[in-house]
Amino acid sequence: MMKALVVGGSGSGKSAFAEDLACSLSPTRTYLATMESASPEAQSRIARHRRQRQGRGFTTIECPRSLAMQACATETGSVALLEDLGNLAANALFAYDGSMADPSTTLDRLEREVIALADHYDHVVVVGNEVGSEGISPYPATLTWIQLVGELCCRLAARFDLVVEVTAGIPLVVKGTRA
Amino acid sequence: MILVLGGIASGKRAYVYGLGYADKQIDGDPASSAPVLYGLDELLRNRTPDEVLVGQLAAKEVVVCREVGLGIVPIDAKGRAWRELVGRTCTLLAESADEVVRMVCGIPVRIKPQDSSCC
Repeated sequence: MMKALVVGGSGSGKSAFAEDLACSLSPTRTYLATMESASPEAQSRIARHRRQRQGRGFTTIECPRSLAMQACATETGSVALLEDLGNLAANALFAYDGSMADPSTTLDRLEREVIALADHYDHVVVVGNEVGSEGISPYPATLTWIQLVGELCCRLAARFDLVVEVTAGIPLVVKGTRA
Repeated sequence: MILVLGGIASGKRAYVYGLGYADKQIDGDPASSAPVLYGLDELLRNRTPDEVLVGQLAAKEVVVCREVGLGIVPIDAKGRAWRELVGRTCTLLAESADEVVRMVCGIPVRIKPQDSSCC
């Protein structure tokens, strides 16, 4: 049983590391994708990540807004790679009509869902995001999102066995030891 | 090559001085004969790395880059593409670098090669 949280900034190589880690844990692999593919830029990122995963035996499940269904899905055992908390938090927080969900309720819900997911699989690798170290946004909604992602990472890190920060493609273990 | 990373005012330049380099050995021009390239992040605003640039950077003794990408994703596409490029270029350079040092509050943390307690 391994519950791992992998964090890093944009272009840090955190996805590639998380995939390698997931692959080392089990040959039966599920990828839980959170990015909604509305814009061309999102589609291009999705395509890059798909190329990166190609041939590595991941079954992809789209779950951009909630993990509730995934935790009771029939695929059990093996390793689940959830990518990433930033997208999940943004999608859970901001509705299509522009309204915002209650941050504290959303935080509790996402924490519960990720924990349930982690308990459902033999191993789980969750990709988080470092978003709080680059200036303060003038937009309250963005600040709420930064806070939500940060707190979710803290809560999961407190429960998980392994926490790794990736920078320039180099993994730095913050908690636990890599098996 | 030593790759030095760190945020704004994290002690990158002081670290380079500590390695024994003086101001006249430090510039932001990849084609110059200066052994230290300072400011890879700003260099990448104007150009994308091709083989020539990567070769020039690898031939430097020290490359210093501001660590970006640890905050909110910029609202403009150009800003997003730039920080992505800085991250990817550092990842590429770190692979061939002899050493990678990350500055935290003025303290150099050597992340390559790193202690056996790390991954």
